[in-house]
Formats: sequence, C-alpha cells, structure tokens
Amino acid sequence: MLEVKNLMVFYENAIAINNVNMTCKKGVITGAFGANSAGKSTLMYTISGIMLDIKKKEEMRGGERITVLGSINYDGADIINMKPSERAKKGIILCPERRRIFPESSALENLKIGGYLATKTQAKKTLEYVFTIFPSLKELQGREGGFLSGGEQQMLAIGRALMAQPKLLLLDEPLLGLSPRIEAILARTVKEINREIGITILITEQYARPIFPIIDYGYVLENGGAVLEGTAKELMENPDVKSAYFGL
Amino acid sequence: MVIEETRRKRLDRGIKVRTETLYALSTWREMAYLIVPRTVLILGLLLLPLILDMYWQRVLCTAGIYAILALAFDFLAAYVGLVCLGGALFIGAGGYISGLLNAYLGWPPLLCIPIATLAGAVISTFVLLPCLRLRGIYFAIVSFMFPLFAVHIIVALNVFGGTEGISALAILPNIWVEQYLILGMIIVSLFAIRRLVNEDIGLILRGIKDNDQAVRASGISITAYKTKAVFIASLMGCFGGAYLSHLYGWLGISLFAMDFSILPIAACVMGGMGSLVGPVLGAFILTPMSEALRGFGQLRVVLYCLILIGFIVYKPEGLMNYLQRKYHQFEYWERV
Repeated sequence: MLEVKNLMVFYENAIAINNVNMTCKKGVITGAFGANSAGKSTLMYTISGIMLDIKKKEEMRGGERITVLGSINYDGADIINMKPSERAKKGIILCPERRRIFPESSALENLKIGGYLATKTQAKKTLEYVFTIFPSLKELQGREGGFLSGGEQQMLAIGRALMAQPKLLLLDEPLLGLSPRIEAILARTVKEINREIGITILITEQYARPIFPIIDYGYVLENGGAVLEGTAKELMENPDVKSAYFGL
Repeated sequence: MVIEETRRKRLDRGIKVRTETLYALSTWREMAYLIVPRTVLILGLLLLPLILDMYWQRVLCTAGIYAILALAFDFLAAYVGLVCLGGALFIGAGGYISGLLNAYLGWPPLLCIPIATLAGAVISTFVLLPCLRLRGIYFAIVSFMFPLFAVHIIVALNVFGGTEGISALAILPNIWVEQYLILGMIIVSLFAIRRLVNEDIGLILRGIKDNDQAVRASGISITAYKTKAVFIASLMGCFGGAYLSHLYGWLGISLFAMDFSILPIAACVMGGMGSLVGPVLGAFILTPMSEALRGFGQLRVVLYCLILIGFIVYKPEGLMNYLQRKYHQFEYWERV
C-alpha cells in the first residue's frame, strides 16, 4: 500500500533520514522504533506531507533549507510532491505527535472538525464508533479539549484522525507521556481498530514494549537509517533489540 | 537502479568562522572581511550628505528619523517580542517636550533635545508600563491608541498650541548640523543596540520573547527587563521627535501622526526583521522612494503599496537577511 524508497531528508546540512526503504502492507500494523533523533517524526511528517509545509515556511522565513529526496509510492502513485491536503483526501491521515488537538473546542467539536472530509453518514457512523471504542470520550464530549487529561487527549486525537476516514493511519508517538495503564488500553484499541475496520496503520514509538505485541511488521531506526526490519517475532528474537528495547 | 540526485549544500564560509567566533585574525583579508561591511555602512551614511542637493538633504533628515524609529521597532519586536505601534507616541512626546521647553523657556535646541529625549522616554515608558503584561497584538493595539489619545487631549483642552501648534521654534544652526546629528545618532544607536542584544541582557530579552514563563521560572522579573527595553527604544524614538520639532521649527498634533507608527514596520519588512541594520536601510530606501514617487500624484500610494506587497510576498525575510546570508555562506551542488 505504501512504499517508501530511498527516502532522504535533510535539514540544511544535517541528515535526518538517510536512505530509508520501508513498506506498509495493506491491512497490517507496521511499527517504526527508535530513540530520540532517530528520525521518526521526520518520517511521519514526510509521509503525511506536512514536511512540504514546514519546508515552505522555512523558505519564507529565510531559515533552514529542507531537502526531500526519494520516492513515496502510495496506491501505485508517487506522492512525494503532493500537498498534505491532497494526501489527506487520498486517505493518509496523521495523528500528530503531542496530539495537537484544538484546545478551545470541545471534544465533540474536535471530532467534527476531523470529519471534514467525510460524508454525513460516514461521519455519523464513525462518531458512534469512536464513542464505542473510547467510552470516556462520550462522557466528556462537551468539555474543552485543553481541559482533558493527557490520555483523553490522545484518545481524542486518534478519534479525530479516524473521523477523517483514513486508509493509512499514521500514529506518531501515541503513547507519549502516558501512564502504563492508559498505554495498554490504547495499544489494545489500536489493534481493535486495525482488526475491526481494516485500516493500515503505521505507528512510531520510542518505548517499544507496549507496542511490540500488536505490530505485524517492524523497523528499527537509528540516526536516520533503518538498521533492522522484520516481523514482530523476528525482531523480538534479535539480541540487539532485546537488549535495547526490552532490557533483557 | 542507482538514482543520481543532487542537492544544494549551504555552508558558512571558513573566513566567517575564523573571524567571528574564533577571532583568529591573521591576514588583511580576514580583517577586511570584518571591517569592510561596517566601514561601508558608516562611510556611506557619513558621505551621503555631501553628494545630495538641498532638497534631498532635507529628505535625508526625515529618512533618518524614520530609520531610528524603525531601529527601535525592530529592537522591540524581534528581540523583546513587543510589537510596539507607539512610534508616534515617542515622536510626539519627544517633540512636544523639546518644543515647549524652547518656546516657553527659550532654551537652545542643543540643550532641549537631550532633555526631551530623556524626559520623553521616561514619560513614554510610564505610559506604556501598565500594558507591558500584554503580548502580541494586544500590546500593539494599546500602544497604537496612545498617540490618538494624546492628540485628542491636546485638542480638547486646547493646550500646547491646540490644533494650530506652535511655530517659530528655534531651529538647528544649519543643514550640516541637522544631517550629521541624526546620522551620527543612527550610527551610535545601531552599534549600541547590536552590542546590547549580544550581551547578557540581550539573552534575557530574547528569552522573554521565546518563552516568558521559562524566564520567570529562572527568577528573573520580566517586567523589569521589558521596562528597560521599552525605555531604550523610547529614548531613540523621543530623540527623533525632539530633533523633528527643531528641524522644522514647529510643533503640532501631526507629530502624533500614524505615519510614525506604520512606516517603521514597512521599513522592517523591507530591510529584514531582526537584523537591526536592515530596518535602517529599509527606512533610507522607503522614505526617498515615497518622495521620488510624488511625480505620480495620487498613484504614488498605490505604487508604494505594490512595492511593499511585492517584498512581503516574494522576499519576506527582507533585504538584509538575504544579503547577510550571501556574504557569510556559500553554496554548491552536492551529490547525495
């Protein structure tokens, strides 16, 4: 479904992503793991197209020059130069790092804004679905986004992304700053979403332990390059991964 | 399949690193790299009066006032995060104090100007003090109100000459003093501000701009520092005002005109925000340009605006930031 080939991203002269090749097969959950500065967020921004927007802004400001090279194949078309809004229409939806919900809109409004691309019936159906997978959101739907707790905000962000009818859902560090209990709930829900509506999911995370059980295929990023790849089982058996991510 | 791709790589010139950060000056070329831009600026400003005729010399004086205002605006906006539209307030405060001292007490301009600069700055700072808590657009709006406020007080109470103003103030001795006073002041304040923003206080001010909560959490009173910054900026503005009233030998409510608040912003946009020298350059381009376009009559404003819009759309970083980058860095194509 998504095929990233020879992707390179430079921030001025610093290389953030170095020759990454990556494939996300339809209907599976792919994980990308790595420490800080491994290039996870850059990868997500580049796939979702936000990078083009950042690049434009930097150019206007006379700041860093961002270079994106390589190709991103999505459903048979190269989308490397496609605008983020066009990509969203094609079904690539990013659930950004640090959630970025609209703090002054209520939870329900946040979800409705996310449903801008959906038809009325789709939006209604997805809204109900979001409320069934995240029951706590239903109770809090009138509360302003900024007053929700971290875990609720993350649920809201995932719900908002779902409202946009994704075919490929990009989850950038969905477990950032959450308690282990919420982590487990979220990981389980992500798996449910994948199973129940068959969305392809690409998920990045620093802390691999809660995510590893749910992924089908994974990549390990290090300093901008993909150093390891394999099925969840293969990765889990790799001694380097074991020591780095599981402390065994 | 091997894909051959290239990208443009941008690097600091070696000479920049040697001269600016290491201060390892060993050749004339390295000395020149540091000295030439500064000399061009200083000499350029100082020699300008010699090549202009009478009319353009007057324009130069006006441009100088806008330049000093633009510098103050840039300092506050780019280094303290206060978008201050109170340029007219500074000009008005300085101008009225200096003019009134001269008209009522008969003091000579060269005494009135320094007193008015100081007193005007103190008054402007006190006036702006209550709104220093505000940020961004709110501070801009409030500071924009004060000049209007002052005009209406003067008109309503009919003090300080009312709508007519006071004419026949003492003027500066001759055109050369007029020009070199403002040019000298620009050069001094330019280098002073540049030094200031690189000192510790400059670090704090920039910190306030980026994240005032973090600065407060470090145990630093941000109001105290903002007050200092506003005082420094209003010193420059009030000097411009005091100078202006003795340039034309007249004071009146047009000292509080909108132009003094708005044109510095245009100069900053054109010259490049945050470069300090850029706004000065911008003011020295924009003011004469507005004069030169007088021939077009009513179309003048249209042309003027078009040029400004062009700059904002196509070169939003501004002239000076662009030039500085070209001077300090080089580019080449690199295969990846």
